[in-house]
Amino acid sequence: MPVDAELLEILACPNCKTPVTLVKNGTALRCGQCHRVYPIKDDIPVMLIDEATIEPEAG
Amino acid sequence: MLFDREDDDFGSDAATRALSVTAVETDFMARVYAKQACWYDLWFGPTLHHGRLVAIEHMGIAPGDRILETGFGTGINAALYPRNCHVTGIDFSASMLDKGRDRVEQKGLRNIRLLEMDASHMMFADDSFDIVYAPYLISVVPDPVQVVKEMRRVCRPGGKIIVLNHFRSASPIFSRFERAISPFTVHLGFKSDLDLPGFLAQAGLQPISIKKVNFPRLWSLVTCIKD
Repeated sequence: MPVDAELLEILACPNCKTPVTLVKNGTALRCGQCHRVYPIKDDIPVMLIDEATIEPEAG
Repeated sequence: MLFDREDDDFGSDAATRALSVTAVETDFMARVYAKQACWYDLWFGPTLHHGRLVAIEHMGIAPGDRILETGFGTGINAALYPRNCHVTGIDFSASMLDKGRDRVEQKGLRNIRLLEMDASHMMFADDSFDIVYAPYLISVVPDPVQVVKEMRRVCRPGGKIIVLNHFRSASPIFSRFERAISPFTVHLGFKSDLDLPGFLAQAGLQPISIKKVNFPRLWSLVTCIKD
């Protein structure tokens, strides 16, 4: 099951507890507050801070 | 009375005592489970399956329920859920989750989504799920109390928090044996001496039931309702 609207509604960044949005044509999730970008690998979002990159301009 | 163990030589205040003689780091367990991914189902499949079946029964799943399974692993529970509920599975181990994804795809389980996530720092909003389930996870994680705090946070008020796990025996003899072997069993992926009364006290859990499961009855299914 890919990342859908229902999942996006409940997903939050553990760092700042703000919502995340799909970026990079649906291949990553990004926190608008701390700019962390979490990759989606083989349909599985990797929601680990250590695996995230900080990308202020990701989109 | 949910348990009847007398205080023994390692007993002290349940609210503060160590839950296990063994301390593990997340990275250590991730390495253990990276090696285990291939044979986990063989070792822990049939032997622990009775508990999984009883847990699903106890959930009382209603159509449309949102279920969070923490420690989804190889997806050994995946086919047990009714197709009319929505299951979110999380795991810290990418290797285990790869197996889980393959299983979900092979069985065509479109009601299951997977995320790689640390159960002690979940990325879900408060009150997101109707049922939050930790099958054979609590003795694997470095900080079981923190995981349960997160489980409680993401469970909606009135929802169920269900923990299925082995806990240290009430028998002083078995209990000492389980403590003695715990530093070795962590290399197989679990602590064998987790203290149930201490765990419940420190996690602030007040179970509505504790049922012994599997053969022999060394594992417990702990069911709680979120206030």
